[in-house]
Amino acid sequence: MIVLNSSDGATFEVEESVAVQSQTIKHMIEDNCADTSIPLPNVNGVTLARVLEYIKKHAEAKDDEEGLKSFDAEFVKVDQASLFEIILAANYLDIKGLLDLTCQTVADQIKDLTVEEVRAIFNIMNDFTPEEEAKLRNDHAWAFE
Amino acid sequence: MSLKSIFRELRGISSGRETKWRKQGEKKSVLGCGRSHIAPESPQPSVFAVVQQSRWANLPIELLFDIIRRVESSETSWPARRDVVVCAAVCRSWREVTKEVVRTPEQCGLLTFPMSLKQPGPRDYPIQCFIRRERGTSTFRLYLGLSPALSGNASKLLLAAKKIRRATKTDFVISYSADDYSRANDYYVGKLRSNFLGTKFIVYDSYPACNSPVSSSGQSHVRIPSKKVLPRLPLGNYSTASICYELNVLRTRGPRRMHCTMHSIPASTLQEGGATPAPEAFRNCLDGESSSCSFVKGSTQESTFIKLPLPPESIQSTKNPLVLRNKAPRWHEQLQCWCLNFKGRVTVASVKNFQLVAAMNPSEIIPVEEQDKVILQFGKIGKDIFTMDYRYPLSAFQAFAICLSSFDTKPACE
Repeated sequence: MIVLNSSDGATFEVEESVAVQSQTIKHMIEDNCADTSIPLPNVNGVTLARVLEYIKKHAEAKDDEEGLKSFDAEFVKVDQASLFEIILAANYLDIKGLLDLTCQTVADQIKDLTVEEVRAIFNIMNDFTPEEEAKLRNDHAWAFE
Repeated sequence: MSLKSIFRELRGISSGRETKWRKQGEKKSVLGCGRSHIAPESPQPSVFAVVQQSRWANLPIELLFDIIRRVESSETSWPARRDVVVCAAVCRSWREVTKEVVRTPEQCGLLTFPMSLKQPGPRDYPIQCFIRRERGTSTFRLYLGLSPALSGNASKLLLAAKKIRRATKTDFVISYSADDYSRANDYYVGKLRSNFLGTKFIVYDSYPACNSPVSSSGQSHVRIPSKKVLPRLPLGNYSTASICYELNVLRTRGPRRMHCTMHSIPASTLQEGGATPAPEAFRNCLDGESSSCSFVKGSTQESTFIKLPLPPESIQSTKNPLVLRNKAPRWHEQLQCWCLNFKGRVTVASVKNFQLVAAMNPSEIIPVEEQDKVILQFGKIGKDIFTMDYRYPLSAFQAFAICLSSFDTKPACE
């Protein structure tokens, strides 16, 4: 069993065969950095718990394609802030499947939206100058003609 | 531009905007996550009201790249492709990443931004469009798609042109918008001007093609280092091509001959490794290191200046411009007509139909495989509907302008 410590001090136990879905953890184990426990200062407890839920499911139901598909679809039904945290965690922990899933989820969110709607969903401020904005509006008008 | 250099530029942008941005403590730890090399920045003191930028604008570059790349590769046809244009307009970091994700029409065969219409098409296959003529308003609309029947209302409008008859000449004003043919705003793309007889035409671009020296009457010429912020290029009329129609030896009983001299495209473009100058999709006031255009002091180009009332018009020409000629049709004895193989893309006989190939050039050797390639094909498929297929080194704008000339040739020349 491998012990993982989140940034906020929570501890999680997980089997090594499951944990190595994370390339980062895998390398740490191989480099003998994992004697007692593995510190993960870049992932908080809540997010780490979610990530472990993902890798546990993908380890135990490896061959059940349909089951995994519906699990994945449900897994990403979270609020925007949590999705952000999971993406960063998947990136840091280098879990390809989870990163693909979450990035695709964000890409799907962007479909068929206007610029204002995208900014609203992701809470992004418009940081263009008025002159730049005017030029962008022309490009936009052409694209939506 | 590597991802690391994009990141460096963004850090430059963000530290320059410290009065507008504030990094949250929470965001500090988030920025420290992941395998990107974003180091947490200490909060900047600000004098003005603080505007918090979302974490989503500062996602690690490689992740933002991954997300926008997924959007771009799944939305290859219109109207879905507008999602890519949306990504480029959300905020600065998203725009920078979209710039890296989107490839030119030459590379991927896809049109994404208005400027894509001034970039050359792909080398190995044509981009297929159609033109709809509206006689009532003397307008012409260029759409991306095989035909109205196949793509219908979903066809993407690329360009629109309006025919304006004058006393001694005719102008076709070309615009990005079907509702706005003003020549004084960003919708203005260029124009086609014909002489009185409809035998000679000049194509004018609203901006000069990059990498070619421009001479213009009445403008001062300054060499600007490319690293500095370039001033916005003046909107004008820069000659980019000339088209000439002639009767053939059989006069009215034979197809006419067409020659297009592409002033901004060198003949060497068709050789192995050749390239043609084209504007970058994001060349505009938003980019510090934008186009590689440079204005050369005291141009030594041989060029004639056409003196016309505003806006000033200028000629730019490469030393050895590419010349296109129309492929000669063959006389079909049984059908008793002139025939060209349009590969099913043209179905109605018309004197307007043509195929353009590269003309032989004594000083430039055109590779054998390029000699027969149809660079531009135009022809009728129905009442007021024509197909237009174009490929490298022509851009959609140049192809459209050349096709418009086919609408204006007078009986004197037929």
